[in-house]
Amino acid sequence: MSDIETGKFSIDELENVQITIGKIVGAIEKKAKEEGVEVGPTPKPGISGLRDWDHKLLSRYQPVYTPVCDQCCYCTFGKCDLGGNKEGACGINMEAHQARETLLRVITGAAAHSAHGRHILHHLIDIYGRDKAIDVGPSNLVAPNTQAVTGIKPETLGDLEEVMDYVEEQINQLLATVHAGQEGAAIDFESKVLHGGMLDHVGMEVSDLAQMSCLGMPKSDTEAPLVEIGMGCIDSKKPVLLVIGHNVSGVTYIMDYIHDHNLDDKIELGGLCCTAIDMTRYKVENGGQPRAKVIGTLAKELKMIRSGVPDVIVVDEQCVRADVLEEAKKLSIPVITTNEKIMYGLPNRSKDSAKDIIEDLSTFKDPGALILDYDTLGEVAPELAIKMSKIREDMGIKALPSDEELQGLSEKCVQCAACEMDCPANLPIMAAMKAGVDKDFSKFEELHDVCIGCGRCDQACPKDIPVLDMIEQASRKIIREEKGLMRAGRGQISDPEIREEGVNLVLGTTPGIIAMVGCSNYPNGTRDLYTVADEMLKRNYIVVMSGCSAMDLGMYKNEDGQTLYEKYPAKFLAGNLINVGSCVSNSHITGTAIKVAAIFAQRNVSGNYEEIADYITNRIGAVGVAWGAYSQKAIAIGSGCNRLGIPVVVGPHGSKYRRALIGKPYDEAAWKVYDARDGSEMPIPSSPEFLLTTAESVEELFPMLAKNCIRPSDNNMGRMIKLTHYMELSQKYLGHMPEDWYKFVRTETDLPLAKREQLLKILEADHGWEIDWKRKKIISGPTMKSDVSAQPTNVKRLCKGEC
Amino acid sequence: MADEFPFEISPMFEGERIRKDGMFVELAGPKSKGFELVRAADMDDVEDGRFTLIGPDLSDMEEGSRYPLAMVYKIAGELVEADLESIVERRNHEFQNYIQGFMHLNQRDDVWMRVSKDAVEKGMTSFESVAQAIMMLFKNELPFIEAVEAIYITDMDEIEKEIENARAVYKGRDERTRDLHDEDVDTFYGCTLCASFAPTNVCVVTPDRISLCGAINWFDGRAAAKVDPEGPQFAIPKGDVIDAESGEYTGVNEAAKRLSSGEYDRIKLHSFFEYPHTSCGCFEVVGFYIPEVDGIGWVDRDFAGTAPNGLQFSTMAGQTGGGKQVVGFLGVGVNYFRSPKFIQSDGGWERVVWMPKMLKDKVLNDIPEEMRDLVATEEDAADVDSLRNFLKDKNHPILERWVEEEEEAPEEEEATEAAPQAGFAAPQMQMPTGGFMPSMPMMTGGGSGGVKIVLKNAKVSIEKVIIKKQD
Repeated sequence: MSDIETGKFSIDELENVQITIGKIVGAIEKKAKEEGVEVGPTPKPGISGLRDWDHKLLSRYQPVYTPVCDQCCYCTFGKCDLGGNKEGACGINMEAHQARETLLRVITGAAAHSAHGRHILHHLIDIYGRDKAIDVGPSNLVAPNTQAVTGIKPETLGDLEEVMDYVEEQINQLLATVHAGQEGAAIDFESKVLHGGMLDHVGMEVSDLAQMSCLGMPKSDTEAPLVEIGMGCIDSKKPVLLVIGHNVSGVTYIMDYIHDHNLDDKIELGGLCCTAIDMTRYKVENGGQPRAKVIGTLAKELKMIRSGVPDVIVVDEQCVRADVLEEAKKLSIPVITTNEKIMYGLPNRSKDSAKDIIEDLSTFKDPGALILDYDTLGEVAPELAIKMSKIREDMGIKALPSDEELQGLSEKCVQCAACEMDCPANLPIMAAMKAGVDKDFSKFEELHDVCIGCGRCDQACPKDIPVLDMIEQASRKIIREEKGLMRAGRGQISDPEIREEGVNLVLGTTPGIIAMVGCSNYPNGTRDLYTVADEMLKRNYIVVMSGCSAMDLGMYKNEDGQTLYEKYPAKFLAGNLINVGSCVSNSHITGTAIKVAAIFAQRNVSGNYEEIADYITNRIGAVGVAWGAYSQKAIAIGSGCNRLGIPVVVGPHGSKYRRALIGKPYDEAAWKVYDARDGSEMPIPSSPEFLLTTAESVEELFPMLAKNCIRPSDNNMGRMIKLTHYMELSQKYLGHMPEDWYKFVRTETDLPLAKREQLLKILEADHGWEIDWKRKKIISGPTMKSDVSAQPTNVKRLCKGEC
Repeated sequence: MADEFPFEISPMFEGERIRKDGMFVELAGPKSKGFELVRAADMDDVEDGRFTLIGPDLSDMEEGSRYPLAMVYKIAGELVEADLESIVERRNHEFQNYIQGFMHLNQRDDVWMRVSKDAVEKGMTSFESVAQAIMMLFKNELPFIEAVEAIYITDMDEIEKEIENARAVYKGRDERTRDLHDEDVDTFYGCTLCASFAPTNVCVVTPDRISLCGAINWFDGRAAAKVDPEGPQFAIPKGDVIDAESGEYTGVNEAAKRLSSGEYDRIKLHSFFEYPHTSCGCFEVVGFYIPEVDGIGWVDRDFAGTAPNGLQFSTMAGQTGGGKQVVGFLGVGVNYFRSPKFIQSDGGWERVVWMPKMLKDKVLNDIPEEMRDLVATEEDAADVDSLRNFLKDKNHPILERWVEEEEEAPEEEEATEAAPQAGFAAPQMQMPTGGFMPSMPMMTGGGSGGVKIVLKNAKVSIEKVIIKKQD
C-alpha cells in the first residue's frame, strides 16, 4: 500500500500536525504528586524489586519439596534424573527444578486470570469506552492490589490497560526464566513464585473491577440475593442451556437475548464453574433478581453432561474439560465455543448468520461451532437450545444406563482395582460393583458426594465399564434433591464496612478471618466445607468464600433446612459469612487486608508493597483454606497471599503441588522482628507457623486455623480469644490440649477466662512459671512481653531513625 | 477442663439462640419480670462464693413455662467502688451467654433469659451452678473483686418488692453519668487497645468524651485501669487546665507526646480546628469543614451518598484515619454528639450545618431544640449552593460568622480563626480529577487555546506509523 521505510526523514513544513503522546515515563509519580499521594519505593516492581522482602519471608518459611517425579524432561539433553543430589545436564538441581515447576504452575495460573482480565477489559472498553469510570461501591481505595503493586490509582477502564501491560510484561519475564540455562538457585525461583502470585492478584483485580463496573454486578452489597444452586434445581423439561467456564463476556449477550425476548420462563440457563457465579451477579445490583442458576463446580461438569439434560453447551475459558465436545457428541448436544482459548477444532462461524449456524448445528452437520461474535452468540445459543430440546426429545436420547443395565455392568467387573488405583480419592468402587451384582446400588450412591467427577475410573477400566455413569444413575434420587442456595458474589469489602468491623478487629473480639477458597478436589466430599465454615462462624470468625468453595458451601442444609448463607448474615462483621464472588474475586480478599493497613494505620498504599505486606504479616489474623485446590490458578492465588504474609492451608491433594513453606517454631532466631519505635529486636510467637502447608483432615485443620490467626501485635483480649479457640478446637477435634499453647501466653490476661485458674496451675506445675497467687498474676515464665504499643516490623528501614 | 460445672463455658456460645421448641424455661423477659443488679459492698457484708436462692430452683420448674428471675451480685474489695457497678453488671450479659444452653438478652430490668432443654438434660438443674460460674468469671476478669456473692430470686412477690429498689439504683447511676463532667474528675483514661493496628493513635477518654470507636467510656477506662494499671487502658492525670473551653490539659498533652512517640504534643479534646483529637480507623462519624459556609458537616458510615462538598464518607474517612491529627476532618463516635462539650471550642451545635437524615434522627434529642430545624440533611441540601440557601432561609447562627468575616474582610483576608484551617482543608475539597490524559494540552493546527508549538530544526522520531486508507 505504501513505500514508507524506516529511517530518517526531513520535514520542511508542518501543517495540521497532531502529536499524540502515548505514554509518559514518570507519569505515575507525577499524577500521584498532583493528587497529594505519596508513591512508595516500588511502583511496578520488576522481578528483583521485592526480592529482599521475599528472602526475608523465605528465611523464616523455608521451602520443603516433595517431588512427584525426580526427573526433568524440559530439553533434549534429558530426561535427567535429579534424584540423590544429582544435577541435570544443564546443571540444575532438584530444589531449583522443583521451585521452577512451581513457578511454571503459578505463572500459568496468573496468566489464566490476567488473560481473562485482558479479554474482558478489551471487550468492555469496546462497548463502554476507555473513559468509563470504575465503580465498585463506596470505597476510597478501589483497587488495593493494583495500587499497592503498580502505584496506579485507576479511575477508568482505560487506566486498567496500563496495569495489564505491566502484569503481562512481568509474566513474560518470569516465563523466560523457566527456560533451560536461566535461574539456578531455588531461593530465587521461590522469589519469582511469590512475584507471580502477586501479579495474579493484580490480574484478578483488573478482571473483577472491569466487570463489576460495567455489568451491573453487586458492589460491596451485603444484601446480594440468594441464588439457586445444584443439579437438582434444573428443570429438565424445559430446554436447557448449559454454560461452562469463567469469563462472562459472551454469556451476557445470551442472557440479554433471553430477557429481551421474554424467554426467561421458557428456558433453563445453568452454569458450571465461575461463569455460573458471574452469571448470577449479572445485573443484580440494586435488588435485581438472578437470571441464571448455578449447577456447581468442575466436579459436576462430566456428570451434568453425561446426564444428557443439556440441549446446548456453551464454553468460554478455564477449568473446562478438554473432552466436552467428545462427551457432548455422544449425546447429540451441540457445543459452542466462544473464546480463543478453547476452540476444539470447530469451524469458525463468527461471520455467519445465526440462522445458518442454527440450521447446521441442529441438523448435526457440525457437532459445534466457534462463535466469537457475541451478538450472533446471543441469538444462536438460546434459539438453538429451544430447537434442540424438541429434536433431542424426539430422538429419544438415552444418557445413563438403566437399573437393569447397572446390574449387568456390575457383573462385568473383574475386581482388578485399576479404577481404585487411578481414582484421586481412591474411592471404594470395587465394593460398589460387588454389591451391584446383587442389585444393591446403595454403595454407588454413597460415592456420589465424595466423587470429584474426573472420569479416570472409566479410562482405567480394562472392561470399559462406565463407572461414572453408574454412580450417577444410582444417585438419581439424591441428585434430584441437590438444591441449595448460594449468596451471589458481592464483590469487594467496602471501606466503611472495614471501619465498622474495625472495633472488633482491633479490640480482638473477632478472632480472625478464614478465607475458604479454591476448587473442588476435596479429599472427602463437599460436606467438610460446611463443617469447617459452621464451626468457625459459630466462633465469631469472619468466613469469606469465593469460587468453587462458595458454590459447594451452598449445597448443604442444617436441621432447619437452611444453608449457611441463610443462617449467617453477609456483612464484614464477626460471625458473618461472605461470598466475594468468582475466582477473580479472590483479589478482594487480599484487597481487604491491604485496606486494613490503609485505613487503620494510614499506611501509604501506592507502590508500597513491602510495607503493606509487613503490616499484614504482623497484624492481620487471616488464614486461607483451599481445601480442594487442584489448579494452577489456585497455587497462584495462594502464592499471592503468601507474599503478603497470609498463610494458606491446602487439603491433602495439595501435597501434589510438591512444595510447602514451613517455619521452624523451635528455631528461636527465626522468630524475631524489630520494634519500629526504636529498631530494637523483639521476639514474636511462631505464628503463622507456615505460609503454605497441607492438612490431612478437617480435625487437624481446625486447631491449625485458630492457632495461625495469632499475630505478634495481638492485644490481650485478642490473644485470649484466639487462644481460647485454639485450645477448644484442639480438645474438640484432636482430643487433647495443644502442646504449645503456653508459648503464646505473655501475661495472665492472655489466658482463656473460664480456665484461668486451672491454666495458671499448669503453668506453675508443668512449666515452672512463677505465679503470685494472691493477685493471680504471672511473675515470671513468659518469653515475650505484652506491649500493645510495640510496632513489630520485619523491615529495618521502617524503624524510627532509619531511612 | 472446667469440670466442676455441668456445662461448657466458652465465647463460642455467645451467639447461641434458644428457640421455643428447644427451651426448657423462659426467665424474666417482656411477659414476666426480673432484673440484674451489681452492688458494691463492704468486705464484711459479703461472704465470698455464697449463693442464695429465693423461690423455686430450675429443678422445680415446669418444662415449657415462664418464671420471673432477678440476679443480684454483691461485690467487695479494696478497689471496689460504686462507679464500677455498671461495668461489672454489663459482664453478666456477656458471661451468661458464654454458658452453653443459657441465653441472656438485654440488660437491667429488661433482661430476658432462656435455658435450653439440652442444658438441663446435661445437668444444669440448679441456678447455683450458673451463679457460681458467673462469680468465677467476674473474679477472673476483674481481679479487683476480692469477694462476691449472688442472690437469685425467682419468687414474683419478692421481685416486685426489690425491683423498685433496683430501678432507683439505675436512675441514680444514670444521673451520675449525666452529671459527671470533665471538670468533676482529676483523672482521664487513655486507651491504646487499637495501637496494635493504628500505632500513633492516642485515645483520651473523659466523662464528656467517649472513645472514637464508641466501645470505651470513662467508667470502662476506670475499671480496666484498676484491673491492670499497666494494661491497655490507664489513668492520665488531668494535670493543669490550659483551656477549659477547648479542653486542653497539661496531663493530656504530656500523654499525647509520650504515646505518639513525639508525633503530637498537644490535643484539645473538644476542638475541631486546633490540635484536634487524633482519629483511628473505627470512628463512626467523620466531621468535615465546609469553607464556603464556614460550617461543619458530619457524615456517618451508613450514608452511601455524597455530602454537600461532593465527597463520600469513605473518601473523607480515607483522609482522616490512621491515628493522625488532621485539621479539617475529625472522626468521632456517635455518642460524642450527646456530650455537652461537643466541639464547644468551635461553637458546638451552632457550627453544625449538615448531617445525613438518618444520623440526625438518631441524635435528634441531643441537638439543642433551637438548632434542630437548622441543620440541613441531604433532603435539604445536596451541594454547597443549596446548603448556603438553606442556612440563609433558616437564619442559621452560622450567618453571624459570615457577617463577621465580611466586616473584617477589608482589614484581614479572612477570619483569624479559620484562615490557616481553610488553607488546609480547601485542597481536599477538590473533586478527584478524572484521569491524567484529558488534562494533556490539546494541540490542533492553528486552533485557539491549547499550546502552540513551534518546530524549528526539530527531529521527530516516530516509533510506528500506521497507514490507513483515507476516508
